[in-house]
Amino acid sequence: MSYVRRFFAFWYDFLIGDKIELFIGPIVAMLIVGVAVGMGLDSAIAGLLFFGLIVLIGALSLARSLRSVAGG
Amino acid sequence: MTGAVSLRDYASQGRPSSIGRMDSTILVTAISAGLASAVEMVEAVTIVLAVGVTRQWRSTLFGVAAALLTLFAIVVIFGAAIIAVIPIESLRILIGGLLLIYGLQWLTKAILRAGGAKAKHDEAELYVQNVAALEADAPVAADKFDGVSFAVAFKGVFLEGLEVAFIVVTFGASAGSLGAAAAGAAIAAAAVLVVAAFVRQPLTAVPENTLKFVVGLMLVTFGTFWAGEGMGIEWPGEDVAILAIFAGYLVLSIIASRLIGRQIAMLARRSPIAASEPQP
Repeated sequence: MSYVRRFFAFWYDFLIGDKIELFIGPIVAMLIVGVAVGMGLDSAIAGLLFFGLIVLIGALSLARSLRSVAGG
Repeated sequence: MTGAVSLRDYASQGRPSSIGRMDSTILVTAISAGLASAVEMVEAVTIVLAVGVTRQWRSTLFGVAAALLTLFAIVVIFGAAIIAVIPIESLRILIGGLLLIYGLQWLTKAILRAGGAKAKHDEAELYVQNVAALEADAPVAADKFDGVSFAVAFKGVFLEGLEVAFIVVTFGASAGSLGAAAAGAAIAAAAVLVVAAFVRQPLTAVPENTLKFVVGLMLVTFGTFWAGEGMGIEWPGEDVAILAIFAGYLVLSIIASRLIGRQIAMLARRSPIAASEPQP
């Protein structure tokens, strides 16, 4: 059991680590843009929306990291 | 729609522009995998040198060889299986998403390091720590197998190399050029190992954070592009969009690192002790 737990813990740490927002964020962004494209949103606008959402996710994660630095 | 046809299909149709696209994609794939491999191998070399110098070279090199063979098998098995089983549209969404997740982790860490909010890798210090830890175990004669040397070298190379294998499989599979990605990674790894064999000390002169910054930018850029294509986005200018996306992320990342640098400097003025000890 501890081997199985360690196996999943390794992959959790490898893919997610301590920044869950960087795992969930891109999935949510892809869902939003995928639905928007499916509803007929113009490709150029969809591309900009996707780029903007990824930037937003990165900015939020950096802000979170900075808060923890400032908080000690 | 660009994303509906794989790059291999483009090439087989014999369109000159498409072949040009494939060549550039192969080149970028090889360079990205090579840069990632170089960074990770610098870290692996620190561990391998510490084990070899402190304990025994023979078992250490067995450990390195076993780890490299395991990584090669992972790339071949998973890469081939992914390309053979998953359709290119689904592959681009899956791999684009994985590249975004992984690339954002690399990039945000590199931005935090560049801004001074996170400690930079110090290979010399890591080497000293590894040597101290390895000296605690009883030594083994040079002609006998040393399990500690083998295990530590295997673990070090395998864990650092696993990130490279991940990038090789994702980049290679999505671009339809697994061989180019693997070749880029192998050449870079060999170059780092040759340099390390000559200098026999941790490679402290390699600008690890800058390389990680560039690799992170490439992963996020291609993740955005491929995931977008998979979702049905027809990027304006097709492949030229990759350069625009890269430039956009580059500029914003530099701005972010500068802003973080200012914030850290401000914190240092308020509380010099806390700010002088960035997070590891």
